[in-house]
Amino acid sequence: MRFRTDFAKRYLSSRYGLAGLIMFLAMLIMALFAPVIAPYKPTDISHDMLSPPSKVHPFGTDHLGRDVFSRVVYGARVSLTVGFVAAGLSALIGIVIGALSGYIGGVFDEVISKIIDSFLMFPVFFLILIIVAVFGRNLVYIMLVIGLTTWPSNARIMRAQTMSIKEKAFVKIARANGESPMRIIFTHIIPNGMYPVVANSAMQIGGAILTEAALSFLGLGDPSVVSWGKMINDARSYMSFAWWSIVFPGIFTVITVVTFSFIGDGLQQALYPKLSEVRNE
Amino acid sequence: MDVLFVKYLSRRILSAVLLIVLVITINFFIIHLAPGDPATIMTGLENPSPQIIEALKRKYGLDKPLVVQYLKYMTNLLRGDLGFSYVYDQPSWKLIGPRVFPTLSITVTASILAFALGTYLAVLASRLRRKFGDLFLSLISYILYAMPSFWLGLILILVFASKLKWFPTSGMFDMRASYEGFRKVLDYLHHLFLPVFTLLLIQLPVFYRVTRASIVQNLREDYVTVLSAVGISNDRLFKKYVMKNSIIPAVTIFGITLGFSITGAALIEIVFAWPGMGRLLLDAVFRRDYQLLLSIYFLMAVFISVAMIVTDIVIAILDPRVRLL
Repeated sequence: MRFRTDFAKRYLSSRYGLAGLIMFLAMLIMALFAPVIAPYKPTDISHDMLSPPSKVHPFGTDHLGRDVFSRVVYGARVSLTVGFVAAGLSALIGIVIGALSGYIGGVFDEVISKIIDSFLMFPVFFLILIIVAVFGRNLVYIMLVIGLTTWPSNARIMRAQTMSIKEKAFVKIARANGESPMRIIFTHIIPNGMYPVVANSAMQIGGAILTEAALSFLGLGDPSVVSWGKMINDARSYMSFAWWSIVFPGIFTVITVVTFSFIGDGLQQALYPKLSEVRNE
Repeated sequence: MDVLFVKYLSRRILSAVLLIVLVITINFFIIHLAPGDPATIMTGLENPSPQIIEALKRKYGLDKPLVVQYLKYMTNLLRGDLGFSYVYDQPSWKLIGPRVFPTLSITVTASILAFALGTYLAVLASRLRRKFGDLFLSLISYILYAMPSFWLGLILILVFASKLKWFPTSGMFDMRASYEGFRKVLDYLHHLFLPVFTLLLIQLPVFYRVTRASIVQNLREDYVTVLSAVGISNDRLFKKYVMKNSIIPAVTIFGITLGFSITGAALIEIVFAWPGMGRLLLDAVFRRDYQLLLSIYFLMAVFISVAMIVTDIVIAILDPRVRLL
């Protein structure tokens, strides 16, 4: 328990961590209460096309007379969902594979490490691109594919954690007591070693949001949802006389990704207070 | 060349070869597991006659089992045959060749500038520690890091091309004027500016942050304490020792960026209608030109591997300790 309160205190004492948390809560409220906050439905079309920001339409309207503000508000739902599901899956796979690889060692570990290294060297975006293009434009696929291709950095972190934890006394005692390797991995190693993966996951949420935006911008996003990337893609052809239609969805993408970078940094500082003393605070 | 170095290098080369094999194997099987029969796609018809499909399959060996096709593909690669685009009905290298220079002129230029400017700003910021300037630079680096490259490109077009009219909105040359010689080069540079600037801004925070963190870490090393205790001035200590050691992570990042440079600007190329490799790749994705895709991915893997090995050699020269790893 002490560890947790200390952790929370250290997290909140970092300037970026606190800012990130507040921004995240604001973003979450926006996504959860989208129907209340948005003055219109995101898909409502009207005759009021490409009108600049005004009292009726705070962010203006797009080429079909849809309210840009309402679409931006609803878009937060897609971005946050993609971010959390993709990064969550990536963390889950990374933690399990990293822990197994680090604990078992030997040839298994060597093979896994080689795969991790190769993945980390290859630009995964192109792998995601080809899979989505080939198997279909569907939000569930997109989230799965991002999760399935970004786990190696988590696995690398978890592997290193496992290597150091498995030499600790409480693991040795558990082994001497005859606990099975699976039990040791899931009840001792993972619960004690997963925190750095969590910090990395915050960064990966931002990465997943950018990946979804890029796919949507290329026309490979889910056609049935309102996403910021798709709004930018739609607005491309008329941006020179309707700047608002392209500026606002982009600004919200940036704010969201910055939020998760801040949170990731806050978590890093709370985890490694010594290291971060001199880092950006 | 000492023994350790040779051992170190041969290990790196082995993992580079493994990377290439892994990448092309994964891509080969993803592409062939795809729904939709390549022969049907090749015809470009909704309901092609079975005879046409039969003929196409026989012509390109698509009727053989997947493993046979895979082995054939691998042996062709070893012989230097990159593949054949069904959609364009041309060998892949003929399509890829003319795209290489335009892409590299964006990516390599941007990477060099980002490396130079990013490390410079990091050094500057570390001298301004805990002052307003440092905080400001760090905030900017967060924002640029979060920027979708395609959106930044569009905004720069909106401001500098559409409104201010300082730069052209897209393309590589002015199509209406057919310049020759020096004018043509100037026209090219004029078109090159915005895409390079976009990519530079996108890559800058990575170099900045990595160097910044590395300087901070180096300043806490024992040798710094010892040297300053001996009486070396802070300025000299920083310039002579800390800088050299701190720049190593940025060199690694630079190597990786160069490795990615063959396709690294795909989204930016789309935004600026730049006729490069990235555009070719995305077109291949949309037209389901799987053979061309495989060729581009193979080239990408080779590029990354070569860049990685070169980087490792440079690092080993800069920091002899790594040879012991």
